[in-house]
Amino acid sequence: MRQIVGVADMKVSNDQKDSIITYSLGSCIGVVIYDPIVKVGGILHYMLPESSIDKGKAAARPYMFADSGIPRLFKTAYQMGAKKQRMIVYVAGGAEILDQKGFFNIGKRNYMALKKIFFKNNVMINKQDVGGNTNRTIRIDIATGDIYIKTSGSKEVKI
Amino acid sequence: MTTLQKLLKEIKSLKPIPAVANQLLAVVDNPDSSMEDISNVIQYDPAITASVLKTCNSAFFGLKNPAESIKDAVNILGTDQIVELVLLKSGAAALSGRQKGYGLEGGDMWKYSVSSAVIAKQIAAKLSLKNKNTIFTSALVKDIGKIILEKYVTESTPKIQDLVKNKNFSFREAEKKILGIDHAELGAMIAKMWKFSPRMVKIIKNHHLPDETMIKDKEVAVVYLADCICMMMGSGVGLDGLSYRFKSQIMEEMGMSADDVAMIIAEFGMNIQEVEDLLHVV
Repeated sequence: MRQIVGVADMKVSNDQKDSIITYSLGSCIGVVIYDPIVKVGGILHYMLPESSIDKGKAAARPYMFADSGIPRLFKTAYQMGAKKQRMIVYVAGGAEILDQKGFFNIGKRNYMALKKIFFKNNVMINKQDVGGNTNRTIRIDIATGDIYIKTSGSKEVKI
Repeated sequence: MTTLQKLLKEIKSLKPIPAVANQLLAVVDNPDSSMEDISNVIQYDPAITASVLKTCNSAFFGLKNPAESIKDAVNILGTDQIVELVLLKSGAAALSGRQKGYGLEGGDMWKYSVSSAVIAKQIAAKLSLKNKNTIFTSALVKDIGKIILEKYVTESTPKIQDLVKNKNFSFREAEKKILGIDHAELGAMIAKMWKFSPRMVKIIKNHHLPDETMIKDKEVAVVYLADCICMMMGSGVGLDGLSYRFKSQIMEEMGMSADDVAMIIAEFGMNIQEVEDLLHVV
């Protein structure tokens, strides 16, 4: 079944019939994780780097922020038997508008926040497609762990 | 026929946005107009009236007693809600199609338009601007030029993409260079022909801020910023992607920090369900 991850949303599954997809990542980031041994995979689609700007919203929508969403993504997969050392990690999104500099560059800040969390927790990114000015859609098949990416106006490709 | 003549001919063949939208905007942003004035304008358009009542009586609003007239609907749901519904319904038919030249599937442009209108409304409220309905509608219809230009963009996609990818052009600048006109200018021509107010024509024409002196105009600035934020959020974005220019001077001009922008994004995140619901009911 096709599981759709909305904006500020997350889905994790071990159902081999599932395909998890998230549409239209602009400056938002999509984190895809997959453990090939237990065949558990998931996608998180977050919008902003830090939940400190609004604790109330973070409590209501933890998947909106990198720092509140990423730990939940991994923990949910662990609860289904996934192990950190086997995890395949793919990151996409974090696009920017032309001339978008400094703190206004939400895409870059989203990516930096993720790098910081991964560094602290010893998580390696296996592959990524981040930055630039394109809009991306990503999908993972739980049975195989195959990951696909599509940019607007182009065909879907397997990475 | 020159390209311009061809474009003008195509504009004339477009099915215009119902006149009720313009009449409503003229009344609604006037502080002296009453609820009755507003109901009167709407009920002159039977198709829109029927459609608004159908939506008001749908499960989405869950009314105990059905609204039988626009006056009922205004009384029960409030002027803002009804005005917004009329404006959305006015734009839906024109903006819901597939725009292949921009890599937009059916419904994508509409989703983008509604999202940026909702974001523009948020920013206008934050800055306590008066003409919120004009701002909402301008944000909703600002990409109307793409409907006609998409065919020409399709024919010239490699040339446009080359300028964008290799020569540091924004997508709008590339349209202008290759086609002689960009989707914002064309949108303004359409708006003028459809007798939109000069304010709206100006906002549509400048929604990518080609002329930086325009940042002084608060309404232009709000629609521009809403468009940038909507691009960043990605929903309904086509092959032009985020290839437009971000002008940080506008933030200083509006007195907004990067945290303010993040707050607007977070608020939009909370409103996404509202946008999805609007897309379904309209």
